[in-house]
Order: sequence, then structure tokens, then C-alpha cells
Amino acid sequence: MIGMPYRESHPADEQLLLFLDGEAGSRRSGEIRTHLEQCWECRARLHQFEDTIDAFLRQRELETSLPPSDGPRALLKAQLSQLAGDQQARPSAFVWAVAGVACAVFFSALLLVRSTNHASQTRTQSAIVSIPNSTLTPGTALLENQRVLCSQVSANNKAVPVPLQKKVFEEYGIAGADPRAYEVDYLVTPALGGTEDIHNLWPHSYSAAMWNARVKDALEDRLHEMVCDGSLDLHEAQQEIATDWISAYKKYFRTDKPLPEHSNHRQE
Amino acid sequence: MSARATGSAAFLVPHVSADVERKASPLEGEVVALFDLYRDRLLRYLLTFGLAIPDSEEVIQEVFLSLFQHLSQDKSRQNLKGWLFRVAHNLALKRRSHVQRRLKMSGEIDLNHIEAIDPMPSPEDEVVNNQTRRRLFAVFQALPELDRRCLSLRAEGLRYREIAEVLKISLGAVSISLVRSLERLSRAAER
Repeated sequence: MIGMPYRESHPADEQLLLFLDGEAGSRRSGEIRTHLEQCWECRARLHQFEDTIDAFLRQRELETSLPPSDGPRALLKAQLSQLAGDQQARPSAFVWAVAGVACAVFFSALLLVRSTNHASQTRTQSAIVSIPNSTLTPGTALLENQRVLCSQVSANNKAVPVPLQKKVFEEYGIAGADPRAYEVDYLVTPALGGTEDIHNLWPHSYSAAMWNARVKDALEDRLHEMVCDGSLDLHEAQQEIATDWISAYKKYFRTDKPLPEHSNHRQE
Repeated sequence: MSARATGSAAFLVPHVSADVERKASPLEGEVVALFDLYRDRLLRYLLTFGLAIPDSEEVIQEVFLSLFQHLSQDKSRQNLKGWLFRVAHNLALKRRSHVQRRLKMSGEIDLNHIEAIDPMPSPEDEVVNNQTRRRLFAVFQALPELDRRCLSLRAEGLRYREIAEVLKISLGAVSISLVRSLERLSRAAER
């Protein structure tokens, strides 16, 4: 039995396992091999190790039947494609240098203003976010059917719990930003089956010049209407809003920029 | 994301529209090839953390996106297998504590409890007669976390040095842990 006390001349269990796994080193392996040729007891122990490993591997194979990899593989390819595209679109070193100087000037001015405004000192971070980070927010949705979704009385987005909102801010690196400047927005709206999941939430700036949270609200309403009147497939609507909501807006409102009534869609 | 919390929620795979479609770079191809090679092994390992399959799949996505960035910055290509398991291990720990916090907030059971539950009950469970297999599974689940991970990494083909690096323990500790686990499994198989 493994773990029995043996005479000192026998290699310890650890040594036998190291030998079995090819980890013992050539000199020690030679010594153990010679010993095994002479010692039935140690050979039996070695076989017992192998039998246990074999039994463990077989039970593991039966217990953990894994789901197919096609879906995750497709998702990875799409994300890699986006990542590679983003990297190619990065500006040159010269542009970075100019941007760096501009940032330095901007932040110096900001510091100057802040030094005269005590109230704003606590707001240490902010950013204008119009497009979600696809890694942090790929979008998640329930695969609901259109009839169930459209029969629900209230299609309004319910408020995201405050702790979850904070988490979204943290993930986007703007934990210190003024929460009133953002809507913690569902990428796929619940009216289209989107879930209250951190991977479906992102901080959408109200202050973005063009593509702000109000404009996206208008798109959500339009897609919901189209899904419910049967002119758009639910899954397609989910995909479009999750992939590139701005392109979806342009497509469904047949415009290159937000319509004026949507820019003022909702009061802050 | 917790699979238990979101039910049938599914990830949406972003599709690339025709006007921006681009040919995959050799590096993207290489990362996908490594995904094909290691996804199952990483997934099996991540399940030992008590993570649900959707959470584990997300961790794997993060691992391979990190790999792409690692390689695109011309960083070391030495022992990418070890690198993958190391990054997966660290991300899984992070994900697990994140899931635990969320479960705690929503009043659900925590992962320490989930770990004692069979992550993927097989159809055979309905008609199981194989007592040895059940005993081995129970013993494996009852192993200390470190031993369970050590054994899983070895089963996925990692060398002792690689296991030591992933788990941040010494080579000696790897060997002691493996022997300890095999002794327990061996006793279970003999019964």
C-alpha cells in the first residue's frame, strides 16, 4: 500500500513519483531504476501509483464532460479581430507626443480651476464614454422569445443597484467621477432581453457631444417597437445593439448623426 | 457573471460587418490555435476553483486576449503553456472572489459551498453503479484546495516546475502534495 513505512534502502514515495514523472534527475533515476529491477515491493508500489493515476484520470473524464468550444472560439476570434483592429488604428508616435502636450496643458488648466473650486476636488476621475469597452461589456441577454418580451407591461429599464453601479465605475477606471454625469446603461436593454449583469452594463456619458445616453435610449425604443411589430428579429436586434449601437442608430434612423429630438430625449 | 444568477443568459458574439471585415493576422491565428490546444485543459483546471462553466469560459477569454497582447508586445514566448495556466490561475482567483462578493450581496450560497457540489453531473449519475469512481470523486473533492489544484495541473501535463510557478510554491511542496493526494485516492480506490 502507498504510504506504508519502508526500509531506508527503499526510495520514498516522493522519490518514486518523481521517477515516474521524469522529474528525478538522471543520476537518481538510474539509481531508482536499478533498485526497481531488484525490488518487487517497490515495483508494486510504482504500479499502484500508476493504477491510481489511471483511475483518477478515468473518473475525471467521466465527471467533467465539457461543453463544445465552438461558441467560445467564435467569441475569441471576434474579440481578437476587434483588438487587432484597435491596435492598428492607434495613432503614430508623433500624434501621441502632440496629444501628450495637449493633455498636459489641459490638466494644468484643470488643476488651476480646481484649486479655486473646493467642491470639485473630490471628483478625481472622469471620462466621456460613448462606446462600451467590448471586453468589459460584451453584452449579455436572455434568449427570450419575442412574444414573452413584448407582452411585458413595463419595458422601462429598472434602476441598476448602487453597489453594482459603483462596480461598473471601478471597472471603467472612473470610480471618482460624478455619478450624475453618467447613466449606468444596459448595453442590451432589458426591453430587448438584456440582463442586469456587469458584462451588460457600462457608464454612458450624458455629456458626450453626440452619441450620449439619450440618443441610445431612442434607439432602444425604436428596436423594441420593431421587434414587437415583427419587423426585426429579436436576436438580430440584440446582436446589433451589442456590437455597435451607433451604427445601429444610423441604420434604423437613416441618419449620420443623432436627430435633434433624440439629443434632448430626456431631461437630466 | 454567475451562471446560477443569470440562468440562460448568453454572451453575444460581436459580428464584424462587411465593410470593416479584415483578414485575421498570423498572431490572431496563433492565439486561436493555442486556444484550440489548451481550452479544454484550462477549463477543467478552472472548474477546480468552484467556478461555474460560464465564469470559467469568461476567464479563458480573458486569458487568450491577454496572451494576444503579451505576444503583440514581443514579450517572452518561452513556455507559453505555463504562462497560460499561470494567468488563468490568477484570473480565476480574482473572478472567484468577485463572484463570492456578488453572491453574498444577493444572499445566495457562496462558492465554498458550491465547491462541494459536482460541477457537471454526468448522465451516468442516474444509474451509477461505479462505486469506486464515486469514491474517487468524493475524495478528490475533499482534498485541500492546493492539493486539488496541484493534481489537476499535473493531470493537464504540467511539469513540476510549471506547477510550482502557477501555484507559487516550492518544487518540494509540489511533490509532497502529489504524493499526499495519490495516497488518499489510492486508499479510496482500494476500498
